[in-house]
Amino acid sequence: MKESELVDIVSRKLVPFILLFGCYLISHGHLSPGGGFQGGAVLAAGITLLCLSRGVKDTLRSFPMRRMSLSESAAFLMILVVGVIGLVLGRGFLGNFLPLGTPGEVPSAGFIFFLNLLIGLKVGTGISLVLFTLLREEE
Amino acid sequence: MKRTLASLLLVLVLGAVLVFGVRQITPAPEALRNHFFRRGVEQTGSVNLVSSIYLGYRAFDTLGETVVLFLAVAGVMALQAGKQ
Repeated sequence: MKESELVDIVSRKLVPFILLFGCYLISHGHLSPGGGFQGGAVLAAGITLLCLSRGVKDTLRSFPMRRMSLSESAAFLMILVVGVIGLVLGRGFLGNFLPLGTPGEVPSAGFIFFLNLLIGLKVGTGISLVLFTLLREEE
Repeated sequence: MKRTLASLLLVLVLGAVLVFGVRQITPAPEALRNHFFRRGVEQTGSVNLVSSIYLGYRAFDTLGETVVLFLAVAGVMALQAGKQ
């Protein structure tokens, strides 16, 4: 599925920066516009670009289907576990049980930061999985 | 022609009702907004107030959203597995 040298090279140079930007959006979700959902969608967009330019088979070598679906389920389980921990510690389901820290720093805002990380992982892998499944069908 | 006129009349009437309704709306309640604005940062520690609402005050709602995405992924994968 190698049709254009230009698309191939540009997309391969662009994808790491898109993934980095997705990680930035996720990790700064409590400070600036963005957050888990948006950052995860950007991660999935980077992987989609790789899929469209290199083909699904090559992309699956870097992002194996099994590992992606495992990390999605694990992230969802971790969100539930975090919620239940808040319940056990007497803050209510999905209540904040971590120290808040100084507002404005990157690891701050207690569990909002970790929830953002988990949701980003879950959304990114989830959307990529859907795209893998749909695009693989066409090949 | 008759049909067009009837549709136009219907659209105009509905539009008038909508405009009347919008003009009747009382100003948005301020108490909750002021509470989030004043106490949001100190209660959740998140400078981004949108984040503090959707992961702090309404984290349960976000959990529901992730369930929706999870079901979508599961559905797509199940459909593809059934095709093979």
